[in-house]
Amino acid sequence: MSSMLEQLRELGVNTEEALTRFMNNEALYIRMLKKYPAAAAGVDPAGKFAAKDYDGALTDTHTLKGVTGNLSLTPLYKAYSDIVALIREGKGDQAAKAYEEMLPAEKAIIDCINNS
Amino acid sequence: MKKNTILIVDDMEINRVILAEGFKDEYEILEAENGVEALKLLRSDGSITAVLLDLVMPELDGMGVLKEMSKSGMLTHIPVFIITAADSEKTLMDAYNLGAVDVISKPFMINFLKCRIGNVIELYRHRNDLEAIINEQIEKLNKVNLSMIETLATLIEFRDCESGEHVQRICGLTDILMTKVSEMYPEYRLPRAEIDKIVMASILHDVGKIAIPDGILNKPGRLTKEEFEIMKEHTTRGCDILTQIPDLMSADLYRYSYDICRHHHERYDGRGYPDGLAGDDISIWSQVVAVADVYDALTSPRCYKAPFTHEKSVDMINNGECGIFNPKVLAAFNDSLEEIRIKPENEKEES
Repeated sequence: MSSMLEQLRELGVNTEEALTRFMNNEALYIRMLKKYPAAAAGVDPAGKFAAKDYDGALTDTHTLKGVTGNLSLTPLYKAYSDIVALIREGKGDQAAKAYEEMLPAEKAIIDCINNS
Repeated sequence: MKKNTILIVDDMEINRVILAEGFKDEYEILEAENGVEALKLLRSDGSITAVLLDLVMPELDGMGVLKEMSKSGMLTHIPVFIITAADSEKTLMDAYNLGAVDVISKPFMINFLKCRIGNVIELYRHRNDLEAIINEQIEKLNKVNLSMIETLATLIEFRDCESGEHVQRICGLTDILMTKVSEMYPEYRLPRAEIDKIVMASILHDVGKIAIPDGILNKPGRLTKEEFEIMKEHTTRGCDILTQIPDLMSADLYRYSYDICRHHHERYDGRGYPDGLAGDDISIWSQVVAVADVYDALTSPRCYKAPFTHEKSVDMINNGECGIFNPKVLAAFNDSLEEIRIKPENEKEES
């Protein structure tokens, strides 16, 4: 297993599950992981939470929930699932707080991907 | 064998690539990154056999795509699988209610996904094949029925002293006149499919002649009053025959055939037979076949007369020598003379 996948595993990423999803094609999985930073930068939940645009925040976090799930970025997937649920329950402020709390974990994973 | 095509619709490339990777060995893959692109592909590419559809997308979302596919009838032959991170019960039920065959949650396991989707595609393929086979059989059955009807009509004509081509000419004339009347007058406008049925129904207009004695049917001279009364019965006797063979044709065709058979000798002024109907109490198709029948009778040789020329026949029809016709049908007739005249079978050699 590549050192990047080893490091991601230490950050809680379920690489085994992901490799099954990618038909054991490690190179393809890594190629898709490399696309995650751009995918995350392509949406702006932070800006939408700040503007209290919870519909927009729901769309963005829902998208990231799907992507992190498929890449088995488990800590992020769990966090985004909670955030989506909170927004749906009408608890926008709590969702924004949960989003803030998730950011260090996301940064760590993105740094690992970018630096490998 | 050509592979089936799957359309993957998701705004995130990562999700599309995972699905494409999983399905590329067994299927041709098309990708769209929003609902608008997806619909464009669905409308232009007839080979798509299944759609894997995300719900939350820009431009047009998955529900919007489903609605459009439902509206245009695509959902009857293309299964749509919703692949979504959404987990709200309402969203999932909405997707099913709009016609999605299955809703699959992200993250998905590709092997299970392949089995679920493969099974449904196979089921749809069987169903679509069966529909094609049934349609082919119906078409064959209709052809057989038509050929039986034509055979019946031709047999009757051979009893008469006509050539057997009268039926074909009546069909051609009915087609020309009915199409023209429908084009010229909104009140008589009919869809092409209905005109085709009327043309087919005109084949049996004289089926009742089978019940007319040879001595009258083939009499070379003028009929006596009593003989003419018997001859007129071919309209009602034809209807009696048709009531015995309703299963030979569809309900619509039967209805047209019966009406034409009974009323193709009615006249616009009410002086025709058997019911003495007048004006638009006579159906427009029976009025059209009446003109077609008279024109063909005039221009064809009969055992009691030589054929008239096209010009003479047109004059006789227009000046009321053969009974009074609907002025609108006559206008359509006069507007179609070129088309009627160029049909070589409409003008016979002197016998």
